[in-house]
Formats: sequence, structure tokens, C-alpha cells
Amino acid sequence: MDETKELWERYSRTTHLLGRVSSILVLAMLVCAPFLIGSYLGAYPDLGAAGKAFFSVGLVWVVSSVAEFLIYTPMLGSGGGYLAFVTGNLINMKIPCAVTARDTVGTKVGTKENEVISTLSIATSSLVTILVLALGVAALTPLRPVLQSPALQPAFENVVPALFGAMACKYYRHNLKLAMLPLGIMGLLFILVPSLTGSTSMLIIPSGAIAIGFAFLEYRKAGKKKEENKT
Amino acid sequence: MSIVEKLNSPVLYGICGAIIGFVALVCVVFLVRAYRVGIRLGMDKRKLHRVILSSASFSVLPSIGILLGVIALAGALGIPWPWLRLSVIGALHYETQVAQAAAEQVGMKTLSAAEMTASGFSTIALMMSLCIIWGMVLSIFFNKKYTQKLGGSSGGKTMGFADRAMTAMFIGLVSAYLGSYLGDFVSGGGMLAFRGNWMPLAVAAVSALVMGCLIRLSERKNMEWVESFSIALSMLVSMAAAVLIGLMV
Repeated sequence: MDETKELWERYSRTTHLLGRVSSILVLAMLVCAPFLIGSYLGAYPDLGAAGKAFFSVGLVWVVSSVAEFLIYTPMLGSGGGYLAFVTGNLINMKIPCAVTARDTVGTKVGTKENEVISTLSIATSSLVTILVLALGVAALTPLRPVLQSPALQPAFENVVPALFGAMACKYYRHNLKLAMLPLGIMGLLFILVPSLTGSTSMLIIPSGAIAIGFAFLEYRKAGKKKEENKT
Repeated sequence: MSIVEKLNSPVLYGICGAIIGFVALVCVVFLVRAYRVGIRLGMDKRKLHRVILSSASFSVLPSIGILLGVIALAGALGIPWPWLRLSVIGALHYETQVAQAAAEQVGMKTLSAAEMTASGFSTIALMMSLCIIWGMVLSIFFNKKYTQKLGGSSGGKTMGFADRAMTAMFIGLVSAYLGSYLGDFVSGGGMLAFRGNWMPLAVAAVSALVMGCLIRLSERKNMEWVESFSIALSMLVSMAAAVLIGLMV
């Protein structure tokens, strides 16, 4: 028992060390790359224009990043969290991938098993993306006419609906009562204010908050029922 | 050498490829460590293999979608930079928005190769990097404290409501998107006119239907393996349906 605890503590310590060091290195590379490319092109970034652009659109992403960190880190665990924020594509790929993996093997958030599964899932997903993109970029010239053919465009324009349709079936199935409230409110909101469809990502937080609030009420009710049954 | 030729030059491929290579190495290290510790904790090897297989099959189709994002941005920014952005840290919905905002600030009317300058490109590249680093910055400073507070590294104990909250959060996420497809169809072509874009709704419905059939199938004896491919297969069938609908309409 003690050996397992020691093993896990050692693993966690190294995960945080590796996660921090690799994140710092990737961060430095990503911020330095535009300057390095600028020196090759013969013109460095215009910091004034970058500052203005940051205040026009960047602040939205700062808020979004804070929310993503707070919401997704518990779901991903420490190793998965470091990797997911380094490799990106969280909502459209990493989160559904980690959640699907968790459900495939039936682990619970906050357990050692979930930490392992989440890290395996995010690392695999990231490597697949890197590989597909590398192969795609290598074959970009001959592949471009096929991928950009008008007949195939409806397929690629609907990757996200295809993903969320499947996920809805998976999650609504056992949580129909819980799903009806956010789905009803969101559906009504988008019907009454159709211009919001361009800002769907901004409504994920309120929609999630509604679902969590309702889940909490159900959870409390179930807890009370249990207590009553005991007495 | 024109700016477009420079943006597609071996130097840029080298810079971007090196960063992508480093991130791939980090992923391999995390993958191997997690696998080894899983085995030492006594987790079933077959379960770990299933996770790797299902995650890989799950990621192929969205990755092709991301590749299309690279193609979409390649016209204005060259191939190497979008390749880096979308392989590492970036997100499909984010890159174009930030690149466009940065382009406007450097005096470009649209994000296009025709208007691109060396200074414009390096400014856009810096903006694309700066706007989305905050999740990584927060991870560096707070991941350890946050996960420990939540019990992530204490191990063993389940988190009671936290697990239910995560499922609820995901239901909220899915509901926001499905609600937007519904709203787009019902009021996208005029308030309550039911003349808007119905394709996303149809694709989501086909995907859900296929997923339902595959779940049923995976619940049968000796058919559990179907679950590993269920999402990817549902997506593939519904995307094929989108092509068919596109040809018919």
C-alpha cells in the first residue's frame, strides 16, 4: 500500500516538474518564433499594433483561457492538463477525447486511474493530430484539390455538428432530465436571438453553469433521500 | 524572393517543424510515463490499450478538419506557420479570428497574401502566439496547487459531486452547440421562419442516430470493441450524409 503511495507521489512530482519545464520551453519558443521569423523576413513585429490588437480581441481570449483552465483542469488531471494547454484544440477534440476515454474504461474524476487514462488519451490524441497534420502538410499540394473539392465541403464544414451529435447521444442517454434544461434554454435563446450563433463559444459557460446548478440540486436531493432512508 | 515564397521557405519549415517536434517528444514522454505507472498501479493492460486505440481513432477525423484549417490559412500566411499553430496550442475557431484582428491593426483590409508584408506577418504571428498562451501560463503557476486541492494527486478517493459536475458541464457544452443549430434553423432565415441552415442539425441528428445504434451493438456480448470506434464512425457516417445532402439540395 505504502509502495503504491510512494510510487504515485513520485510520479505526480515528476509530472509537475516535466509539465512546468516543458510548458515554459514551449511558451518561450512560441513567443520567440515571431521575432526569429521577423529577423529572417527583415522586419520585427510592430509592438504598438500588437498591443492594440490584443486589447481589441486578446482580452476575450484571456478570460476564456482562465475559464477553460478552471473548468477543464479537474477533468483532465495534472498530466493531461499540462499537455492539453500545450497542444490546444481543447473543446473540439481534447476534452471530448478524454471524456470518452474516461467513460470507455469507467474511471472517476480525481482518481489515480483517471489521471493515467486522461494523460494517455490527451497524449495519443495530440500525437495523432501532429502526425495527420505533418502527413497532410507533406501531401498538401497533391491533396489540396481533393480536400477542397466543392462536393466534400459540406462534410468538413460539419465536423463539429457531427461530433456533438454523437456526444449528445452518449450523454443525454443517461441524463435526459438533466440535459433538457440547458438544451431548452439554449435552444430558446438562439431562436429568439439568432445573431448569437456566431458567439456560441461564449455561451458554453452559462449553459454549463445551468447544467451544473441543476445537477447540484439533484445531487442534494438524492443525498437528503439517502439520509432519510438511513434514519 | 517574394513574401509568399519566404513564408513557405525551408527556414520557416525548419523553425516551425522544430517546435512541433519538441511538443511531439513531450507527448511521447507523458504517454510512456502514464502507461508505465498505470501498469505498476495494477491497471488492466487491455484497458490502457483500448484507451490509446479509441483516442487515436477518435482524433483522426477532427485532425483532418484541423488540416483543412491549415489549408484555409495557408493562402494568406503560408503553410509552415498555420501548420505550427494548429499542431500546437492553437484551435480551429481561434486562429482566423485573431489573425484577422491583428491584420486590421497593421493596416490590412483583409487577411490575404496580396496585402501581406514582412512586418505585418511577424506582428500577426506574435498576436496569434500571445492571445492563446494564458491556459499554459496558468498551468505553469497553478496546475499543481489546483489539482492537489481537488484531490487529484492524493488519489484513491472519488470526488462525489465533482464527477457529476463534469458530466453536467459537458452536457452544457453540447447543449449550447445543439441549441445554436436549432436557433440557426428556426430563426436564421428570419424570426421563427424555419428557413435557416438545417444542415448542422441534420448532421447532428444522423450522428446521434448512428451513435445510438453503435452503443446498442457494443452492449452485446463480445462486441465491446465497437465502442472504441463509435464516435469516429458516427462522425464519418454523418459527414458522408452531409456530402449526400449537399449533392441533393
